[in-house]
Amino acid sequence: MSLEFAFYPGCAGKQVQKEAEWSARAVCAELGIKLHDMPGATCCGAVSLRETKPAFSLAVAARILSEAEADGRDLATICNTCLQTLSHAHYRFRTEPEILEKINAVNAQAGIRPYGVTNKVRHLLWVVTDMVDQGVLKSKIKKPLNGLRVAPFYGCHSIRPTEIFADKAGEKADHLDRLITLLGGKPVAYDGRDRCCGFHVMLSDPTEMRQMVAKNCLSAKGAGADVMITPCTLCDMAMGAYQGIAEKTVGQSIGLPEMNFAQLLGAAMGIHESKLGIDRLHIDPKPALAARGVL
Amino acid sequence: MAEQTYTFRIQRNQVVGGGRLESRWQEYQVKVEPNATVLSALEEIKGHQDGSLTFRQSCRSAICGSCAMRISGRTRLACKTHVGIAARDGVVTLAPQANQPVLKDLAIDIGPFFKRIQTIRPFLEDGPETATQVGKTAYDHVNQVSQCIMCGCCYSDCTMAEVSPEYIGPAALAKAFRFVSDPREGKKSDRLRQLSEPHMMWACSRCTMCVHVCPKDVKPMEAIVKLRTRGIAKGYVEGPAQKHALAFHEDIKKSGDLNEFTLMIRTLGLVGTLQETGSALHLLKKGKIPSPFPHQARGIDQVSKVYNLLEQNPLDVETKAPEIVPE
Ligand code: FES
Repeated sequence: MSLEFAFYPGCAGKQVQKEAEWSARAVCAELGIKLHDMPGATCCGAVSLRETKPAFSLAVAARILSEAEADGRDLATICNTCLQTLSHAHYRFRTEPEILEKINAVNAQAGIRPYGVTNKVRHLLWVVTDMVDQGVLKSKIKKPLNGLRVAPFYGCHSIRPTEIFADKAGEKADHLDRLITLLGGKPVAYDGRDRCCGFHVMLSDPTEMRQMVAKNCLSAKGAGADVMITPCTLCDMAMGAYQGIAEKTVGQSIGLPEMNFAQLLGAAMGIHESKLGIDRLHIDPKPALAARGVL
Repeated sequence: MAEQTYTFRIQRNQVVGGGRLESRWQEYQVKVEPNATVLSALEEIKGHQDGSLTFRQSCRSAICGSCAMRISGRTRLACKTHVGIAARDGVVTLAPQANQPVLKDLAIDIGPFFKRIQTIRPFLEDGPETATQVGKTAYDHVNQVSQCIMCGCCYSDCTMAEVSPEYIGPAALAKAFRFVSDPREGKKSDRLRQLSEPHMMWACSRCTMCVHVCPKDVKPMEAIVKLRTRGIAKGYVEGPAQKHALAFHEDIKKSGDLNEFTLMIRTLGLVGTLQETGSALHLLKKGKIPSPFPHQARGIDQVSKVYNLLEQNPLDVETKAPEIVPE
C-alpha cells in the first residue's frame, strides 16, 4: 500500500523550525511515504482565530481540509496546534452537519470547494507508528540508539481533548514511547511528558512560559534523559530554542538537547545530519548521539 | 471480577514546626476488585490498617467534590475512579491536590481555591444589562459550566497555575462564563473588563488539561475561549495576549501564513520588543528569525472574500451544550 498525504507543515515548520520539515521529508522519502504540497493552504489560525473570529476559523479550516480532499488525500502535519485546530474543526463538521452546511455555503460564494468530510487529519508521527509496517520501519534503522535515554514530550495539542483524540489521548498516548523503543532507545518516564511547553503564552506571559520550559526539561533531566523529543514544531521552539532563555529566567543551567521526533528518527535511519538540520538546534545533541554510535 | 492485591503508594504529609511540610511515601497492600473505587480502598486502609491516614470524602457519588486527589499522576475524584484503571503495574499512587496548601496527608486547604471563585463574584448582579426576557435556549450556553462541583481537579492539574500563583485558574473562569452568559446578569461588560486584566482569562496557555481532567465534563478551557471572544467583541483588546490573538486573521486574509516577523512588534509594541532583544539575539544564533515576507498562498483572494462575507453576515457557530433532560 502506498502512503500519500497532503502535507501541512504549519507556519513554524515552514519558517523558524524548518529543520523539522526537512527531516519529515527526508524520513518520508526513505519510507516511501509521498508528501504532496498544499499550494493553497493558509495558516490554520490556531486557537487565536477561534477566539477572535470563530466562524472565519471554521471557514479557513474547511478550505484547508477541502484542498486535501479534492485530491482524495488525508492531511498530515508536524505541528500539534495545527493538528488540534484542524481536528477540532473536523470533529465539529462531522458531528454538527448544520454548521458544515452553513460554512460550505459561505465558502462556495468565494469560490471554495465545499468540504465533504471524507478525509482525515493525521499527525505524521501517527503515520510512522501506526500506518507504516513496523517490520519495514525496523529494517530502515541503520544506526540503532543503543539504549539512548529519550524523554518523550507529547505536547498538549496532540493528546487533548479525549473527545477528539480518543485512543491516542491523555494517559493512553504511547506512540512516542513506542517509537523510541523501536529505534533501540529507552523511553524516560518523567512528570513533564504530558505538560505544557508554554509556546502560546511565549509573548504574553514570558516568565511563566520560561518556568514551564525549565520545569519540564529539569524533570526530564532529573529522570536521566540524554535527549528529549517532541512531535511538534512549537514544542521544539519552546523546549529547544527557548531553553537557554529559560535557564536565565530560573537561574539554573539545564542543557538538555531537544529535537523533533523526525530528526531522531532520521538520525537512526542513517540520514546525514545536514539533511536533518541538526546544526540548527540550540543544544547540540551530537555528543549524546555519538556516545551511542548514532551519527 | 476476582479480587486482586494492589499496592497503594500514598504520600503522607504532616505539618511540622514553623508550618513546614514533612512528606514521606507509605505503601499499603489492599485486596479489592479492579472495579472498586479508590475511595473504597482508602476506607479499607483507614478502617483496617492505619487509622491515622487522612483524606476527605462525603457523598461517595461524584457530587460533593470533596475527594479530589492526585491518582497515579492526574487529579481525579477518588469515589469515581476505579482501582483497576488507576493502577500502573498493580500500583496506585496517591498524593494530595497540587497548587494548594496541604493540611495533612491527602487533605488540602480548599480556601485559596474558593477565594479565586469569589474574585469573579459568583452571583447574579442587577445592572444596566439585565435582560427582562429570558429565551427558551438561554440556558444552553451555561448548562455545561453549571455542572461544575468545585472539586478543584482542574486547578490542581492546571499547567499555568503550577508556575503562576496569581493565575485565577480554570474553575473560576468557567464560573465567570456562567454569569457572563446569563441573560439576567446586569454587569456583563464590567465582568469582561475585569476578566481582561492580567492573570485572568488571557493567561490560560490553552493546554487543554482542565478539559481532560474535569470529572463532570465542564470543559473549562472551552468556556475561556468563549469568554475571550466576548471580551474582544466588547473592545477589551489592550493586553499583549489580545493583540497577539488579533494578529492572526489579518495575516491569514492578507497572505495566508502568519507573519511571525512582525508578530512580536504587534504583540508587545516597540518598547516591549526592545526588551526582548536578548531573546531575539539568542534565537538569531541558529537562524531562527522568521522571514519578513511570508509566502503567499494560492487563491488567497478567496480567503479575504470569505472574511468579508462573514463580517457582513456574521454566523453564530458557538457550541452549545445539549439540553439536559431529566430521566
Ligand atoms: S466523595 Fe463526594 S465527590 Fe467524591
